[in-house]
Amino acid sequence: MNFKDRLQQDFSTMTLVLIPVAIVLNIVVGQIASTLSLPIFLDSIGTVLIALLAGPWVGALTGLLTNLIWGLISDPITAAFAPVAMVIGLVAGLLARAGLFRQWWQAILSGAIIAIALSFVAVPIRVYMFGGVTGSGADFVTAYLLAVGRDLFSSVIITVISSNLLDKVVTAVLAWAIVKALSKRFVARFPRATAVVGN
Amino acid sequence: MTLYLSTNGPLHRLHPLTKLTWLLAVLAAALLGPSGWLPLGLFLVAWLLAAWGGVGRVWLGRNGRILLPLILMLFVIHGFFNPNGQTPLLTLWRLTLTQEGVAYAFLLSSRLATIVGAALLLLLTTHPGDLLTALTERGLPPALAYIISSTLYILPQMQSKATAILQAQQARGLETEGSLWRRARALLPLLAPLVLGALVDSEERAIALESRGFRVRGPKSSLVELPDSPGQRWLRAGLLLGILLLIGWRVWRLFA
Repeated sequence: MNFKDRLQQDFSTMTLVLIPVAIVLNIVVGQIASTLSLPIFLDSIGTVLIALLAGPWVGALTGLLTNLIWGLISDPITAAFAPVAMVIGLVAGLLARAGLFRQWWQAILSGAIIAIALSFVAVPIRVYMFGGVTGSGADFVTAYLLAVGRDLFSSVIITVISSNLLDKVVTAVLAWAIVKALSKRFVARFPRATAVVGN
Repeated sequence: MTLYLSTNGPLHRLHPLTKLTWLLAVLAAALLGPSGWLPLGLFLVAWLLAAWGGVGRVWLGRNGRILLPLILMLFVIHGFFNPNGQTPLLTLWRLTLTQEGVAYAFLLSSRLATIVGAALLLLLTTHPGDLLTALTERGLPPALAYIISSTLYILPQMQSKATAILQAQQARGLETEGSLWRRARALLPLLAPLVLGALVDSEERAIALESRGFRVRGPKSSLVELPDSPGQRWLRAGLLLGILLLIGWRVWRLFA
């Protein structure tokens, strides 16, 4: 099957209606995590979930649109991090395709890989566009690292990975568990999902 | 729910693409243009435009809430800890404020303020639906427009569903306060019904769309007509030309 046919199969009507649901899940579950004042964001769970069901391209688009829409409804700054959300969806889909989302321990590993992969995009945006600053508590970590003599780039790498590692591991495990909990009839609508649940 | 304010000022009556092109031009000027006072000047222009459009106060308030924490931390982190800081301005206890650090913080702050200010101008005065209609007329795939408007439609529904699930589980004795372990354990009983329910609902929407010819190819007519004017077309062309000139100037400077 060539790339164009593959994309057409990826973006079925079922996928098109699922993308808004995934975007809304990113936003609402992120809000639940902050209601429970958990130390993680969980605001990419919909992106990872749809990447497991419908593949890396759908995952990337969902991540991109999540941040653009978030920018539209509350804070335009979020839109600047759209490439980061894209990488999360893309990498989650690629890992699933490579068979790294079959078991729970693989999901943990995949979450860690996602956290490292996203920092390749997140760190340059944070450093060059925002001077390494987020306007949140994480800035004190960056300030401390700078004060003890690290340069800005490596300080931001440490801040980004340490604040994302646990979050992405929990996100990946939850998304894996949700896919496993879905009915066979529902999952059968997504040919890519066999890489996660088997045949 | 979005940032849009449903008043009716002169900015509201402009074509969405005119405002979007303005945003792109400001983005190009802030990122590629000469630094110094230009970004701050564009921020003041945006303020004047917001006041003229009748959204000045909301514009200022939103800007403050988004920008102030960032700008404050930029000045603290770069003012005191910028590794390139050489020239001391003043010393507080063991920390030294440097001129290079303050200059860098000023550069980044004025850039961010300009971009956020221009984006808010568009978002406060343009209904998302109008923006999507305008973009679809210019070739944005209708499927993308569907995804975005459907998201804006589902979001409040899902938020109230999440609240209902939270209250129902609390009524059954679920503890959502206390130690971290206790709060973390509350996550699953909240997520499972929300996520699984949302996924199953989406199947019905897919069937409804299919049966109404959503995937049919060919031209589709729009219910909404957006007013445009020759003046605005010229303005957009001029702004696009300006953006191209800026990019050209940057590329030329790179090699010259």
